[in-house]
Amino acid sequence: MSKEMKSFQELILGLSEFWAEQGCVLQQPYDLEVGAGTMHPDTFLRSLGPEPWNVAYVQPSRRPADARYGENPFRLGKHYQFQVILKPAPKDVQRLYINSLEALGIDLKVHDLRFEEDNWEAPTLGAWGVGWQVMLDGMEITQFTYFQQAGGMDLEPISVELTYGLERITMFLSLSRSVYDIDWVPGGVDYGQVRHQDELEFSRYYFELADVDFLKTQFDGFERESQKCLEAGVVLPAYEFALKCSHAFNVLDSRGAVSVTERVELIKRVRNLAVGCAEAFVESREQLGFPLLEQGAPRHA
Amino acid sequence: MPDGELLLEVRCEEIPARMLEPAIRQLASRLFEDLLACKLSPAEVQTGFTPRRLMVLLKGLPEREPDRSETKMGPPVAAAFDKAGEPTAAASGFAKKCGLEVEDLERVETEKGEYVAAEHKIEGRPTIEVLSQIVPRILGDLDWAKTMRWGSGDGPWVRPVHSLVALFGGEVVPCELFGVAAGNTTSGHPVLSPQEFEVKSGADYRRKMARRGIEVRFEARKKKLLEKMSEAADGLGGELVKDAALLDKLASICGIPGVIVGRFDATFLTLPREVLITSLRDHQSAFTLESDGKLLSCFLTVMDRPDDPAGRVQAGNEWVVEARLADAKFFYEEDKKSSLADRRVGLDQLIFHARLGSYADKTARITELSEVLCQALGWDKEQEPVIQAAKLLKLDLTTEMVKEFTSLQGVMGGIYAREEGLTEPVWQAIYDQYLPASTDDPIPRSPEGQLTAIADRVDTLVGIFGLGLIPTGSRDPFGLRRAAQAVVRILLEGKLPIDLDLVAAQAVLLYGDRLKKSGEEILTSLRPFFHDRVRYLLGLEGYDYDSIEAALAVGSSNLPDLRLRVDALHRARQESDFLAVVLAAKRIANIIKEAPEQTFREDLLKEEAEKKLYQASHQLRTEIEGAEAAGDYELGFRKIAEFADVLDEFFVKVLVMDENRDLRFNRIALLQSIHRTISRAARLTEIVVDKAELRGRNTEMQVD
Repeated sequence: MSKEMKSFQELILGLSEFWAEQGCVLQQPYDLEVGAGTMHPDTFLRSLGPEPWNVAYVQPSRRPADARYGENPFRLGKHYQFQVILKPAPKDVQRLYINSLEALGIDLKVHDLRFEEDNWEAPTLGAWGVGWQVMLDGMEITQFTYFQQAGGMDLEPISVELTYGLERITMFLSLSRSVYDIDWVPGGVDYGQVRHQDELEFSRYYFELADVDFLKTQFDGFERESQKCLEAGVVLPAYEFALKCSHAFNVLDSRGAVSVTERVELIKRVRNLAVGCAEAFVESREQLGFPLLEQGAPRHA
Repeated sequence: MPDGELLLEVRCEEIPARMLEPAIRQLASRLFEDLLACKLSPAEVQTGFTPRRLMVLLKGLPEREPDRSETKMGPPVAAAFDKAGEPTAAASGFAKKCGLEVEDLERVETEKGEYVAAEHKIEGRPTIEVLSQIVPRILGDLDWAKTMRWGSGDGPWVRPVHSLVALFGGEVVPCELFGVAAGNTTSGHPVLSPQEFEVKSGADYRRKMARRGIEVRFEARKKKLLEKMSEAADGLGGELVKDAALLDKLASICGIPGVIVGRFDATFLTLPREVLITSLRDHQSAFTLESDGKLLSCFLTVMDRPDDPAGRVQAGNEWVVEARLADAKFFYEEDKKSSLADRRVGLDQLIFHARLGSYADKTARITELSEVLCQALGWDKEQEPVIQAAKLLKLDLTTEMVKEFTSLQGVMGGIYAREEGLTEPVWQAIYDQYLPASTDDPIPRSPEGQLTAIADRVDTLVGIFGLGLIPTGSRDPFGLRRAAQAVVRILLEGKLPIDLDLVAAQAVLLYGDRLKKSGEEILTSLRPFFHDRVRYLLGLEGYDYDSIEAALAVGSSNLPDLRLRVDALHRARQESDFLAVVLAAKRIANIIKEAPEQTFREDLLKEEAEKKLYQASHQLRTEIEGAEAAGDYELGFRKIAEFADVLDEFFVKVLVMDENRDLRFNRIALLQSIHRTISRAARLTEIVVDKAELRGRNTEMQVD
């Protein structure tokens, strides 16, 4: 057993290496503001249709409403998820997951690992799944989900999604009292030095500066752009604009500018775009003859 | 493996804790029932589960189904044999179909004449064959609150299946579940003992699981866990704060019942007791400890392993608990920065229901409705704390603590009110407002709390009914049945003589023009809704449904009084002469049912029997009124029972439907008056008369 990793970047390296060895495409973060790794097209779109797909990547995830001016030791307006998709979900995926923790140097023989029911639902994506929050010594470290539906469509084969909360795991392994104290580099630059200014300034923007009318205009514009792309049959740009709508909505929400009824309405509009993109994506892959079906995605040993 | 023993174990990924117990109960009972249907009854049934397995052990099953025989009917004898007594083609055809010779056929006498028949022996199947059919079907068809698919579309089931042990008398029962073939191997804990191993029998299974520290039997695991926890609590000089549901949960989420003792900083003990208990329970599934009613700065929870060799499990749990308590302390201190009354502005922003307005609107209505309730009880100065509590009732919804722990709503407001120095009736009313939330809960402890709790719920019921959103079937998203049941319980147990109809009518008015339905429509749908709760609650206490109906039929504006009447009726009807009362009441009701109201004139009384009846009925009314005034309904019913003889005599000797119109109408008027007298406490015609009981009664009376 290797030494337990206790820094942020060791975790990223360790997980990347482990999942690359399992045959995952080592992807990069999506270059847009998203709320979770699930929204990356390599998860949301690739989990649709019959083609196999294995991918791993880090995704910075923005939750404007969770921003706390860099003062709360646990809550962040932006955090980092390590996201893995295995499609179809291998039969021994729990075992693989356990191995991934051991690859980080976590000696499970001295820890308590439990899987507690936690089902996942993303109304804006028309998606839901069944699974657990994985608890290590009473701390939630991973969301483990078998996707059942995405874009309002039943999925087959079923993908499994593993979402590691990188800050939480690092904090926990180093028993840090604050996320800002964890080492980003082992024994070197810490998380606060890398991210604190970001948290502070974006909190100010989300809660004080964001222009509500501007964001609402943006939302409308992004929506039109997405619909236009869908009509023209270009799915990926259409989906990108749906994501932009979603982020505009999140900022509006954090600004307290969304009433209860408006909220339902806006979520429905994003959902309609996502469902449209999902259907169009499956169609476009079908036209290509589902190329990955033949080639087969690399599988773990 | 002993003969006749079935060992069944499904091993899968972690089943949600809340689903385990119902699943194992269903699995065992369906297995038992299906085997019984094949005349295969086990002598003993044992069950067990951990998050990753369901186990059933049946002992003493027969080796095979009993043989049985069936008689197959053939053609009539007349058609099967010709005049010479030789078999016809019909006979030989039937014999051939049954695989027999004609000589083997039998003759059977039936209503339609004599028939040819064949005795058909059906050999019982071996039990293992029966099992191979029913086991996969029962397992696959278990009801789950939520199911999933996995892989390339396997399922639906609660979680992916990994292995299936199905052994009968040591032999593998050939079957499969979602592509997983039954076998004789399983494995232990996924980290500590993941290697597969073979099992030979129930005893072998238990031994090998025990060697890996796993206790599969739920009750045994729970007992062990409680022992370990109590022992740990002793060592810390305290005892567990009782929580049966939490203990069940902890026993469900582990296979190896290991206990972790954790400590937290004693400064957190300044938090209210309720907050500490709730935070530890909801976030960490942990027990708190107390000594002499004071909480200790430690907690106990479970780990799915026997020990904590590196202290990591304890350190990890303590780290999480400290973070959670720090959160709770932050919320508590933030909340205390403003008084409850200062929070009023926040209620405007909090939507109760899009059509029914904000919680500020609701608070205004509850306050007025509370005043109405006080007036109904004739309260004057006593109403002051009720009004104060009503105004503060919902303010804790804006606190950080309640946003974090919804289960502390009400309780938190009560605590903050107490800490602000508000009077006991006020803070207790706020604290208790959501009681009773379940059948086990008590009602609010003070009359002040009872009234505000009623006002709040009647307001909700009227509002939601007023939008036409009446619960149907199992759909009740606003929890209206529970709300109505709480109202009824509070009125009954608090002995509050409050007319729900009047309160609901006031509640309608307070909504102004927000509602879609008219007041009359709302009351018409709400009344039976409340009545259903009354029926249910009194039924739970063991009263017969017809006693409840009889009492309800004459009025429900005063529920404590209704309950007295039901109880009196319940006791009165145990008496042997009570049947006569019911029969007489039914007879009267039958005669007067079509008749318009008539005026009674004493001078028109002609027959001796009717004069006697009149005198007796006059006296009866005085007696019943007297008994009721003293709250003794049972005496009233007894007086009615005594009256039955005079009534019987009247019916025997006097013809009500006399040819003379005046006499006829006068007799009807007399009966109408008697009907009113005996129907004051209950409509006796609602009482169902048992036919057998009726036959047993030696009487010439006709019952219609």
